[in-house]
Amino acid sequence: MLDNFNHLVLPNINLLLRGLSVTAYVCFFAFLLAIALGSVACLVRLYVPFIRVVAIGYIEFCRATPIFVQLLWVNYVWPELFGFPKTVVGAGIIALALQSSGYLAETFRSGIEGLSKGQRDAGLAVGMTNLQIMRRIVMPQVVLVMAPSIVNQMTVVIKSSTLVSVIAIPDLMYEALKLVNTWFEPIEILTSTALMYIVAIFLISILAKRVSDHFRSKFGLAGLV
Amino acid sequence: MKRMAAIVRVVELRKSFGPLEVLRGITFDVREGSVLTIIGASGSGKSTLLRCLNYLEQPTSGEVYLDGKPIGFRIEADGRRAPDTAANISRMRAELGMVFQQFNLWPHMTVLENVIEAPIRVKRLARKEAVDLGRRFLSKVNLLDKENEYPARLSGGQQQRVAIARALAMQPKVMLFDEATSALDPELTGEVLEVMRALAKEGTTMLVVTHEMGFAREVSDRAIFLHNGQIEEDGPPARVFSAPTSERCRQFLSKVLH
Repeated sequence: MLDNFNHLVLPNINLLLRGLSVTAYVCFFAFLLAIALGSVACLVRLYVPFIRVVAIGYIEFCRATPIFVQLLWVNYVWPELFGFPKTVVGAGIIALALQSSGYLAETFRSGIEGLSKGQRDAGLAVGMTNLQIMRRIVMPQVVLVMAPSIVNQMTVVIKSSTLVSVIAIPDLMYEALKLVNTWFEPIEILTSTALMYIVAIFLISILAKRVSDHFRSKFGLAGLV
Repeated sequence: MKRMAAIVRVVELRKSFGPLEVLRGITFDVREGSVLTIIGASGSGKSTLLRCLNYLEQPTSGEVYLDGKPIGFRIEADGRRAPDTAANISRMRAELGMVFQQFNLWPHMTVLENVIEAPIRVKRLARKEAVDLGRRFLSKVNLLDKENEYPARLSGGQQQRVAIARALAMQPKVMLFDEATSALDPELTGEVLEVMRALAKEGTTMLVVTHEMGFAREVSDRAIFLHNGQIEEDGPPARVFSAPTSERCRQFLSKVLH
């Protein structure tokens, strides 16, 4: 087994690491886009009554569609309908972002609705505008309170990203499958791949938890949540 | 020091929440530099009245004027009333400081940041200027040594004093106190009342909703007793507290004064 590991995994480690970097790239931009789309969807749902129903439709659509379907749909249907995305990587990022944005929108919404009304009142009473209150008072607290769910969503994106190999994005899973199909030795290759995912997700979770715990205890939010 | 001009004028103020009419035509003036206490049982509309003054609640009808300027509406050239812009409403709110029952400090900001936030964002003061201003008001509530603490590390009384400093830092024309000591343990109310007493002495115009009858009697120039959204009793505190003409006011006082 160790023997197999030595001549299957190690000589190809660069290939796997290159795949991992593609995974990181796709996940990073997918998550950024998800945060942006999720914020917009959440704010529209809460504060723009006349297109609220559009936001609800969007959120429910994103959450109810399997990621696999979304990937194929964005990759094959969108270019025909909208003329973009032009690359598979673009399609992968958009599809991953779509799904996460639905969940993040709901996370942000429960964070905003959970914030006491007095926090906004205090801002209004000193003459702050709604936009200032959102930016300075509501958002920072929502991010702090919701940090665990947001981090969790980040790990979901990483795990879902293993599916982007089906539209031929050369991510870690894609490279691993290619090796498996070349050597027909799945045990070492897939085990190593799984380990790489575990380590990546573990590191991100630990780091994010450290950071959010630091701020939550500093502000005394730990007791609130 | 005390001038006769009415700085706050409330005319026939009404407020309904759905079918429930909470304020049923409230009219009164507050002179500049005077202290008005508003008393009444819970549900009598005291808090709603204060919240209508700075437009945290939108009155159903009636008018509120601050220093002669209407709050929440403006008079068009043809004499008709039109809702005011959000920016103007914010500007008017900034001239009325409000202290809440639950303090409502922003937990992710330090004490000093809480106090200087509005001077920086709303008044557009330079940070250094705002910090000087903030420290001045923090020392006024005896909390200068806590400027770098976060609110969660303070006692309720300290938090409420920070909230007072935060409101004062906007240098409002009028201060509104909405049951500022009701959420505090009895041993902590004293330090907050002391700050309020000092403000009254300096000639700050104050509208105070309170259950602290002793304090109300001692500090206010005038007291109003609200019942079912109407003013039942209105006069100098000595009369309202000692010889109220309204039977309901007498009953209320006998309950709260034991």
